[in-house]
Amino acid sequence: MKSEICRTPDKEERSLLRQVLDKIANHCRARSLFILHYCTGCGAIELPPVITSRFDSERLGIQPMVTPRQADILLITGYLSIKTLKRVILTYEQMAAPKYVIGMGSCTINGGMYWQSYATIKRLLEYIPVDMYMAGCMPRPEAMQQGFLQLMDNIDNGNANCWKDYYYNYDEYLGHQQALFGPDWHTPTDVIAEARHYQLFGEKTIGDHTALLAKFASKYVTKTIPNHIVGVN
Amino acid sequence: MSTPLPEILDSTLQNIPNLTFTVQDRHRLRIELHRDRLPALLELLKGRAGYLHLSAISCVDWPDTDEFELVYHLWSYEVKTLISAHIHIPKNPGRYISVYDIYTPAAFFERDIHEMFGVYFEGALDMEPFILTEWYGPPPMLKSFSSVDYVKETFKWQEYSPDWLKDIEEKGGQVVE
Ligand code: SF4
Repeated sequence: MKSEICRTPDKEERSLLRQVLDKIANHCRARSLFILHYCTGCGAIELPPVITSRFDSERLGIQPMVTPRQADILLITGYLSIKTLKRVILTYEQMAAPKYVIGMGSCTINGGMYWQSYATIKRLLEYIPVDMYMAGCMPRPEAMQQGFLQLMDNIDNGNANCWKDYYYNYDEYLGHQQALFGPDWHTPTDVIAEARHYQLFGEKTIGDHTALLAKFASKYVTKTIPNHIVGVN
Repeated sequence: MSTPLPEILDSTLQNIPNLTFTVQDRHRLRIELHRDRLPALLELLKGRAGYLHLSAISCVDWPDTDEFELVYHLWSYEVKTLISAHIHIPKNPGRYISVYDIYTPAAFFERDIHEMFGVYFEGALDMEPFILTEWYGPPPMLKSFSSVDYVKETFKWQEYSPDWLKDIEEKGGQVVE
């Protein structure tokens, strides 16, 4: 009897419903954003006026947050040394999806004035997917505000999906990370299992680089999510 | 040169043979000596003359003479002068003795110099990587290491895309030179 009342919607219909829900979710999400500010670069000095009374980004619905698990935006405020990049990746992987990365300042685009330094990385997007760059050295608070508004727009329109790319192309990102940190580099997060969980597992999620993960991983560090939870055989 | 040395310092320095010193100003004294005599000098300065504070050890790479110059900076809170003791060590094998037993802060400076220049300090507390824990290349402060070449080989340059400039201009913005 029950099954007759609770009709199963067909696939098309369901995806339509989902689209509407996504739209509503995106709309709401864009108006409540928490930034995790990773302030190792000099550009960080422009952040306090943006988030406090002078430019007051809170009126746009953007607030600073102190932990990765409770934040939507990872704001990288400038140059990253190879050592800090490691911490950034660990932080990024701990954030719950959907998550957005903003690269602030020319240092995150191509190394900026630290191009000649052996100790800093040059292109942030090789290691984690970047949704938005704020160009300048350093970008002024107005530019940051503008950038935030643009990101909100992108989220609202469903165009801020770079976080998915990390799952689709995990092998490539990991490859770049390994090039800097050595072949035995791995994080406590099981990104591949997460990709399956979010149904974002693609052809390029695993490859030569992820094979090294399995080779070097300690059983204490990467505990894979059991298959029955992930839903694959 | 005209400023006389404090008495205690004068008598201390006379204990070390073949030592040249220059009084640079009222608060600075530069000493050059043979590397074998440095520990003795430090012992005397610390024990007899009150130079309790080793504020830094610096290293200079001299490519022409194939030598490292190590400079030990010592400060006395009593006499209020800074002594820089300069020694030279051959680049090959690039080893020297640690002064950790005389001045404990030397542990950090020696570890740092080991990492940046490759000088090995015998008897040092710790010669493990300190700041450059993710570094696999040669000691980066050596003159023979070209940071630019390393960067060109390791990283790719990314052009600024003119597209975003168009986007910004459309919205009434511009790039100010
Ligand atoms: S882009 Fe400029 S302001 Fe920003 S971190 Fe780099 S050098 Fe500093």
